[in-house]
Amino acid sequence: MSLIAHLVAKDLKRKIRSPLGFLVVLSFPVLFAGMIALAFGRGGDAIPKVRMLVANEDDGILASAVASAFTSQQGARVFETRSVEQADGLERMERGEASALLVIPAGFTRDVLDGKPVVLQLTRNPSEGILPEIAEQAAGTLADVLEGGRRVLDEPLAELRPLLRGGGEAPSDAEVIAVSLLVKRALERSGDLLFPPAITLQSEIFGGGTEAKASGANDEGNTSAIFLLILPGVAVYAIFLVGDQAMRDVMTERTLGTLRRQLAGPVTVGTYVLGKAATTAVLSLVSLAVLTAVGALALRDPVSVPAFALVSLALVLAITGTSAVIYGVSRTERQAATMASIIYLVMAFVGGSFFRLESLPAALRAIAPFTPFYWATEGYRAVLERKAGVAAVLPHTGVLAAIGVVLLTAGAAALRRAAKRGAVA
Amino acid sequence: MATESGGSVIVRPVDVLDNSGAVLARIARMIEAQGLVKSFGSLRAVDGIGFHVRKGELYGLLGPNGAGKTTTMSMLAGLLQPDEGQIRFDGIDLAARPLAVKQQLGVVPQEPALYETLSARENLRFWGGLYGLSGKDLSAAVDRVLQLVGLSDRSKEPIRRYSGGMKRRLNLALGLVHGPRAVLMDEPTVGIDPQARLNILEAVKNVTASGATVIYTTHYLEEAEELCDRIAIMDHGKILAEGTLEELIRRVGGRELVTVRGGFAPEALEPIVAALPGVQITSAAPGRVVLTVERAGRGSVDVLARVLGAGLDVDGVSVQPPSLNALFLNLTGRELRD
Repeated sequence: MSLIAHLVAKDLKRKIRSPLGFLVVLSFPVLFAGMIALAFGRGGDAIPKVRMLVANEDDGILASAVASAFTSQQGARVFETRSVEQADGLERMERGEASALLVIPAGFTRDVLDGKPVVLQLTRNPSEGILPEIAEQAAGTLADVLEGGRRVLDEPLAELRPLLRGGGEAPSDAEVIAVSLLVKRALERSGDLLFPPAITLQSEIFGGGTEAKASGANDEGNTSAIFLLILPGVAVYAIFLVGDQAMRDVMTERTLGTLRRQLAGPVTVGTYVLGKAATTAVLSLVSLAVLTAVGALALRDPVSVPAFALVSLALVLAITGTSAVIYGVSRTERQAATMASIIYLVMAFVGGSFFRLESLPAALRAIAPFTPFYWATEGYRAVLERKAGVAAVLPHTGVLAAIGVVLLTAGAAALRRAAKRGAVA
Repeated sequence: MATESGGSVIVRPVDVLDNSGAVLARIARMIEAQGLVKSFGSLRAVDGIGFHVRKGELYGLLGPNGAGKTTTMSMLAGLLQPDEGQIRFDGIDLAARPLAVKQQLGVVPQEPALYETLSARENLRFWGGLYGLSGKDLSAAVDRVLQLVGLSDRSKEPIRRYSGGMKRRLNLALGLVHGPRAVLMDEPTVGIDPQARLNILEAVKNVTASGATVIYTTHYLEEAEELCDRIAIMDHGKILAEGTLEELIRRVGGRELVTVRGGFAPEALEPIVAALPGVQITSAAPGRVVLTVERAGRGSVDVLARVLGAGLDVDGVSVQPPSLNALFLNLTGRELRD
């Protein structure tokens, strides 16, 4: 035991003398989660609006409806709309002052009512990425709604058409009643499809709130919530990288010749691997402590500390085992580094560290549980988001610990085999 | 020095001999290797070698690169398992009790194996601690080896600032810090400047003077001649000859080696050699023939005259007096540095 402590002390001393790599890896999850939280965590004001230009060349009722869709209460959350002439709009687009220009052509209302093909022209600003896409999606939805409405109300529209073109004479009561009845029947026929809507969207934010509000205090809460939403997954990835760095020292010592020298002394392969595993565990725990402290600053509600600690300890074991296998089977430092980068990146992606599992394709979701990243990330989310206790995270802890023990044993065996065939000597 | 019989004796670190060479006292064997074989795929790197090293002896393994010296050292250090054969340290079987052996063993690898971000003192404290030294014993041991290799003044600097020669000296110190009973030194002077080499050779002499047993591999003849009590000449995984420097040179039989190079067929020399008494062809290859010539009489002078007068296409001729290199040439047909 004192020999392992001696090995760990030496490795930590070396790490302290050359801490840059460790600090860079450690700062990654904080910066990553922090930047995303700052960008998206301050309510609607923080999200850039789509600067929409609408050139309405038609004075009909439907053209007005399309144009006003972007300035309605709901549309105003996303769009900053300005009415322009088409030429003026194009000049503004030229100067990059807008995300998109929508041109509603003259005769639009009439052609829609007549059932003729009409074209809504949308010009997108190529210098912007996502915002013009939003404009296009919104305009496309409007076109679909208009087309659907026209088909549903085809019969009453046919009755309405002469009245709309009547040239000043008000329709009689009987004509109004007739059209109203036609509209009523059309809607009744479509009632099953339209009411209630087949699809509803309910948005929810992390922490139990259902809607972001505009006050400054809630902006801060939203930022914290998003920070904590992002942090666990990215932190798991970063701690795997910390463990990778620590265990990579096996290959560094192979290159330095110090591994060979230790094995020529009173150090067995098993002791050496345990020493490196202990160093990896210490560095991972330090990283976890730092990231936990950062996360605690953003935490609003208390969480189960024992549950958090259990997941953390099991994660450290899994990290140690995973990296031990990678560095046990690799023949060169470069091979190991490449293998580790690919394996960790893929596992982090599949395991839901970067994206929430719900947003991944079903095939990826099915293989996610085969990665330690999945169990660690889900374990932390259970503790942080669902306020889970020890009992709820026992499966996560058990799987992570099992992965750690099995892989650590396999890694030590691989290194012992390499030592026997002289690959480390 | 006087014996009970009144005759003079020669005291060597290995055996105590009388004037006739008879052993008066035998010093126990520290290292024994028997029938060692190690193959890597189809390459038989070490091919059934055996030797023993007495306590306090400095034993040299001399051979060109690829002779199998480092593989032999790796097996002695317990880093490689021999395919066949047995190694014993002070009677202890290395395979059966590796840690017991390694605890008494110091290893100085060919390339410096150091932690560059640590200082010389920190490196030494780590390696000393690995062997169980601690407290005042460790500090004293560290000071002792720093003094031995002349690095006391710069012991607190990170060794990434050291020159190549200083790193080599520290590399040697790391193998000695725990006071091993036997030290394996694998070409510790390769690629360093003459001054650093002298420092290391001096330190090695001090190590043997302190009573430690040393196995020292080298492909430098001068080092083997200067340092070693006994030398084994290795090539292609085999020990070709073994003995003290005097014994090995005696094996050449006081004969000079004449090497003739040129564009002639080796067979063309055979009638010339047959006509000269005391001359033998040791090796013959296209472009080079090695002859041994008795030093008595005109010896090599007659050989040179005949060869050059025979009208052969000769580019060059060299004559070597009896030496280790001459022995190696005699044994293998090539020089150590070929």
